[in-house]
Amino acid sequence: MKSSKRLVTNQLTGVLTKKTGGFGSPVPFLLPALLVVFVVLIFPILFAFFVSLFNWPLSGGGGDRTFVGIGNYVELAQDPGFWNSLWLQLGFIFVAIPIELILGLAAALLLNREFRGGRLIRSLILLPVFFLPVVSGMTWRFMLQPRYGALNNLLIAMGAPEITWLANPQTAYAAIIAQDIWRMWPFVFMLMYAGLAGIPEEMLEAAEIDGASYFAKLFKITIPMLYPTILTALLLRIIDALRIFSEVYVMTEGGPGMSTTLFSLYTHRIAFGHMKMGLSSAMAIFLLILSIVFALTLVRKNMSLDELENRGGNR
Amino acid sequence: MKKALVFFLLIAVAFSAFAGGGQEQAAPAPAATQQSQAPAKEINVLLWDDPYPRALMAMLPEFEAATNIKVNIEMLQPPQVLTKTAVSVTATSTDYDVVGIDEGNVPVFASLLEPFNAWPQGRVYPKTDLSSITEKMLNIGNWDGQVLGVPINGNLYVWMSRKDLIENADYNRQFRAQYGYDLKVPETLDELYEMGSFFHSNGIANGFGPFNGGPAGVLSEAVYFWNSYGTDFINVVDGTYKVVLDVDRAVEAMEMYKKLMTISPPGAETMAHVERQAAFAADPKGVFSMFIWPAQIAAYENPDTSMVSGNIAYSAPPAGPRGQGAVTGAWAISIPSASQNKDAAAEFIYWWSSQEVADRLVAQNTIPARTAALTNPALVATKPQLPALADSMAVAISRPRFAEIGQVQDVVKLRWIEGITGARSTREATELIIRETNEILQKAGY
Repeated sequence: MKSSKRLVTNQLTGVLTKKTGGFGSPVPFLLPALLVVFVVLIFPILFAFFVSLFNWPLSGGGGDRTFVGIGNYVELAQDPGFWNSLWLQLGFIFVAIPIELILGLAAALLLNREFRGGRLIRSLILLPVFFLPVVSGMTWRFMLQPRYGALNNLLIAMGAPEITWLANPQTAYAAIIAQDIWRMWPFVFMLMYAGLAGIPEEMLEAAEIDGASYFAKLFKITIPMLYPTILTALLLRIIDALRIFSEVYVMTEGGPGMSTTLFSLYTHRIAFGHMKMGLSSAMAIFLLILSIVFALTLVRKNMSLDELENRGGNR
Repeated sequence: MKKALVFFLLIAVAFSAFAGGGQEQAAPAPAATQQSQAPAKEINVLLWDDPYPRALMAMLPEFEAATNIKVNIEMLQPPQVLTKTAVSVTATSTDYDVVGIDEGNVPVFASLLEPFNAWPQGRVYPKTDLSSITEKMLNIGNWDGQVLGVPINGNLYVWMSRKDLIENADYNRQFRAQYGYDLKVPETLDELYEMGSFFHSNGIANGFGPFNGGPAGVLSEAVYFWNSYGTDFINVVDGTYKVVLDVDRAVEAMEMYKKLMTISPPGAETMAHVERQAAFAADPKGVFSMFIWPAQIAAYENPDTSMVSGNIAYSAPPAGPRGQGAVTGAWAISIPSASQNKDAAAEFIYWWSSQEVADRLVAQNTIPARTAALTNPALVATKPQLPALADSMAVAISRPRFAEIGQVQDVVKLRWIEGITGARSTREATELIIRETNEILQKAGY
């Protein structure tokens, strides 16, 4: 296994060396791409970090900057609004994403078979993913309106009392989570369904012949084989959920009070409500670090190449 | 190492492809034909999106024909206008030659705007005579002793009440028996509460439509009620900003608002423009009485979209026990100092703020900041809201204005909502508003 890997690597890199009659150093060939990566990816991050070290009120037209070092980070640490938005954001992630994973996996398992209308159902399930976040947020806002919203009309018809979903801090928070679950669980379903298609039928058939029950096959074969897919879905959803903005903005604008002011909404408010670009950049850098921590935790510990190779070998 | 290099190469190639694809998509259409027909000058204008600038758009061709100046107008929702102005206008460069500035943000951008007295004379239209603008509205474009923008719309609190409810003989008989006077347009907050309670408790309609949407809206409501109960919020004292809110009076004001919340529609805690319009104009049991920004009157009077079109009584806002005020929420039109087209920009503003255009805009249910347009007998005959607007302008009050107002708005929004919904006592909420606003002012060096 390792020797074949080395052979492929040599084939890929060897053509670029003089030893094999190639074109010399690869650096000149990589330079244009590296330049693009620097301009598109690295520079904005460096610039945001640079800005985060300044007190930069946008109200002065961007000219009046004062170097404050880590002052903005200290200010953030002392700002209750920052911590409030962070806890709300983490709560959002830890509630919404597990539910999306469970729903996505369950639906994928259920629909991973051929039956009449199966293709149509699988296609229809994906519809919410194609909704623009703004449209989704607006739709939910109107749907949850207490007087003429569809949900309340249904509940009232069943004898329930009128509920002001978006006017109560707890139900408003639950509503933005529900909106995200509704819109994004089909995305998880899509990944899981693709993952299930990659599991060899023979393995499941062999287990069946050996007398394994449905749940034994599910927990001993299917889910372990789906592990990389689940982790990929988890990582993509966490990164996406950390950046959620527009749907919450149009649904609640962060209210009532600060009860749905998630991290990105608070960052926006600091930037364009308080006009503090340095402070909001510090928040952006914090979010970046948070994303990296999540990504490293998932990728390094659970998706290392060695582990994937082992899984492939075991397969 | 080699593995990492290959991985990095693949990522780089993906990014290159992505960037290349983006460039391809973003490639501008051939402009040669446009350029050959291009007028002598071209200006970019950033405005808020409501019926007022939209009505202006229809008149643009005549301005362009008269001046040979092409006007590219971009209209955004008010929060986005603020965002875009903040990133597009600097001391040395600007994407826009004319910008609409919400009155609360004039101090925020003051250092970037060309003072009115430095604006060039118009080539086709005469320079705006500032004395033709209603005096109390003129303050909107002023900052630090300078006029930085021409107040263009007369947007301030105007009260709306449902005429069909007031004029219903049965309702009036019942109300009179209970309260001892006839149903009418409420002139005081107590009357508003009594009439609103009558309609609410009898299941006829909700009594009041609060405005609790965004931070700026909540501050407007708070300032209106504080003023009605005889206290200012923030004043300039000894050359600096100080919180001058009288706790007892502010608590009294918040208590009244809290009472009004009990006769408001479900979800009143977060009612913004969309919900208010739906309640008042599309629900027979929606709302009896509430304020409106005049810029939105056109939507409420549109018979295609409103059930109460032609059935609204307009007035100045109800008075409190110690005062009457109509909070302004108007826009000033300004020229960034960095604009390279100041002469064309000024020409456009002179045309827009002229009496002739103002009269024509009034005819389309929009409201200029000119009393003359509001008292024109020919217009008053068909626009019942105009006298109410003139009455409101006579008692106009402004929200506090300074660069840190965004932070103060957040504090007021949070604590005011807590107070009026009972999450905190009104006294505790008021004291927190004072304490936290003081902290912001001190931190800002006032």
